Amino acid sequence: MLLAIKGATIMPVSSSPVAEATLLVANGKIKALGPSTELAVPAEAAVIEATGKYVLPGLVDAHAHVGLWSEHYGQANADGNEGSNPLTPDVRAIDAVWLEHSSFADARAGGVTTLQTTPGSGNAIGGEMLVIKTDTVGKTVEDIVLRTPSGMKAALGENVKRYYGQTLKKAPMTRMGTAALIRQAFYKALDYQRKQEAGQADPSKQPDTDLGLIELLRVLRREMPLRIHAHRADDIVTAVRLAEEFGIDYSIEHCTDGAAVADFLGSRAARVNLGPTFGHRSKIETRALHFRNAALLAEAGCKVSIITDHPFVSIDYLILCAALSCAEGMPEDQALRAVTLTPAETCGVADRVGSLEPGKDADFVIWSGHPFKVRSRPEQVYIEGRLVHQAE
Amino acid sequence: MLVIRGGRILTAAAPGSDVPDVIDGGVLLVADGKISAVGGPELPVPDGADIIDATGCVVTPGFVDAHSHIGIYEDGLGWEGTDANECTDPNTAEARALDGINPADTAFAEALEGGVTTVQVGPGSGNVIGGEMLAIKCVGTIADEMVLRHATGLKAALGENPKRVYGSQNKSPATRMGNAAVLRSALAKARDYRRKMEAAAESPDKQPDRDLRQEMIVRVLRREMPLRIHAHRADDILTAIRIAEEFEIDISIEHCTEGHKVVDILAAKGIPCAIGPSVYGRSKQETRDRGAHTAGVLAKAGVKVALICDHPIIPQQWLRIAGGVAIREGLSDEDALLACTRNAAEMTGILDRVGTLEPGKDADLVIWDGDPFEYLSKARCVLVDGKIVHCLCGTPCHSSSGQGGCC
Repeated sequence: MLLAIKGATIMPVSSSPVAEATLLVANGKIKALGPSTELAVPAEAAVIEATGKYVLPGLVDAHAHVGLWSEHYGQANADGNEGSNPLTPDVRAIDAVWLEHSSFADARAGGVTTLQTTPGSGNAIGGEMLVIKTDTVGKTVEDIVLRTPSGMKAALGENVKRYYGQTLKKAPMTRMGTAALIRQAFYKALDYQRKQEAGQADPSKQPDTDLGLIELLRVLRREMPLRIHAHRADDIVTAVRLAEEFGIDYSIEHCTDGAAVADFLGSRAARVNLGPTFGHRSKIETRALHFRNAALLAEAGCKVSIITDHPFVSIDYLILCAALSCAEGMPEDQALRAVTLTPAETCGVADRVGSLEPGKDADFVIWSGHPFKVRSRPEQVYIEGRLVHQAE
Repeated sequence: MLVIRGGRILTAAAPGSDVPDVIDGGVLLVADGKISAVGGPELPVPDGADIIDATGCVVTPGFVDAHSHIGIYEDGLGWEGTDANECTDPNTAEARALDGINPADTAFAEALEGGVTTVQVGPGSGNVIGGEMLAIKCVGTIADEMVLRHATGLKAALGENPKRVYGSQNKSPATRMGNAAVLRSALAKARDYRRKMEAAAESPDKQPDRDLRQEMIVRVLRREMPLRIHAHRADDILTAIRIAEEFEIDISIEHCTEGHKVVDILAAKGIPCAIGPSVYGRSKQETRDRGAHTAGVLAKAGVKVALICDHPIIPQQWLRIAGGVAIREGLSDEDALLACTRNAAEMTGILDRVGTLEPGKDADLVIWDGDPFEYLSKARCVLVDGKIVHCLCGTPCHSSSGQGGCC
């Protein structure tokens, strides 16, 4: 099955835009792209005329809760926070992603083809997340998985201490308490590892199975990052302190006040999943919210992905968040990269998605105009060469 | 005297005005905080006037948001700044938004950055009757001095919010029927109070005790101000109309998320609609059919439409983005401008002061560096009452000599 998109301006993200270009797709993968004058279209290819339009990779959101909660489903779909214990490394988002959730259709309509969907920030350690495509129709979650687990969620700051400390009068009640719980959990995992090793030498010493500690050991072995919710600058620094103490891979989620510690993060080339920014400062820890932060963090050397944190910004407005970041100083190419290739890299799926390059999945969007023009819309959205959304 | 010269002036003036709706290379004169003249390049500029060169820019009226909680739902303060819903009784008509407004809310400065100069602020939708609304400018340190008109409406709410707040406490209202009953009872009780007040006009000994709650609702019954009814779902919109007709009061529909499903009724009855927040998720069941197309559908049918941020749901400065997304989904450019200026001012009852660029109006205007609805455009310079209140180069940039600064 050969498909040729002809005549559009192609913005591959990994390389410079090409005007009047052709994109060739074969068997769900990108086969070639280049100027229409140089790229021959095989006679058997189905041709889509796209002159005047823009073709970009499908957008990637590195931090969303699509399928896990909210929207209009209420308690029946409140599956994002296992609020029964502040430490739940044993829970897995894959067991809760509901593919009939309306947010998947919104994602496709907004040109988002890949996203990392994650447990919430109610727990100090919230559980495992995963990276999925958004073509849910007729699929199981296994069908659309790109990577699972793709990270372990942790959270610092207001949310954990509000729920446990203020509402339930339990630990953690303070920022100190939250950090202590996370630190203790990782030391417990290290103790568990020692017992496992002893058990290998002497089976009678084999410890009982502990699913949570087994998963934390995978974090300690750097098989997946700890993705740490941190808004305020001091929470961001605490996140780095904890991660460096255990030598684990990490990303900073939200990073609202990150500009205050931009050099600290930049010197580490920290991965920052920045957002949600098209919203209000609902909490004290979000006081520094501003679209200029994307440019400031990127200039300092951080690897910035722009996120919706759906439902906090609806997933179909990811492009709006990139455009307003551009309006506040982030160069256009970087702002586009922050919703495509950088989040793909951060999620560990850049070998498959995030840019238009031969060999990658044919996940792309035909925009009616430049995506940073407010009147432009995703006219057609493709995942692995298959049309998954057509604008009315 | 201040002159803005050279830009494309979109006046938002109604057909029949002395001022055209679009003037290229226009000239606008400001004196004593008011617009004194608007015209084409031929309009003479008085000697000695300060001149802002708006060449290449678009000049519009300051944007007006007809439904906001700015100042009473403060940015970045959490509980401390949350003063929008007095959820101690489903009817708190006596509550006044003015008493909850904190001019120090940082959202005001950002509103100006986004070209929003006037807002109608009201209580939230936790109560069936929430309290009194008012129109303020986004500039000032004393709430009373920011007031443009007071009061501009009484806030009411149908649908999920009141029944959730009170139903979860096993109190009335616990259903949509209960919402309507609380509203109907409140109006009926105020009607009785009004009768007693009128009886007392003839015989002072019949004067009822002062009841601030009833007095406020009586003002709605006398049609001194409309009841502004939060209604997302189509059936809630129809309930609002049903009750309004029963008591012969003026209303506006606030949010109007499913307005496109009852567009013919809204158009036939001439009910103004404050639409939004649409650049937002389907956060509740009653917003499951949200879409940025609603404004376009209603405007095409002839409904008077304003676009709203419902700040803080969408931060106030992004009213222009709500306009842009509505344009993408079918609202005309002209109607989008009106929905953020003239219509919003008219619906709020302040069109005599703001909402268009016509002589005699307050000199509230925005000089945009491009199409105001585009993502990448910015408000280069914003004036309220003839004073520069925001400028991209920092404030205030415009010296009395006309020298210096980016303007």
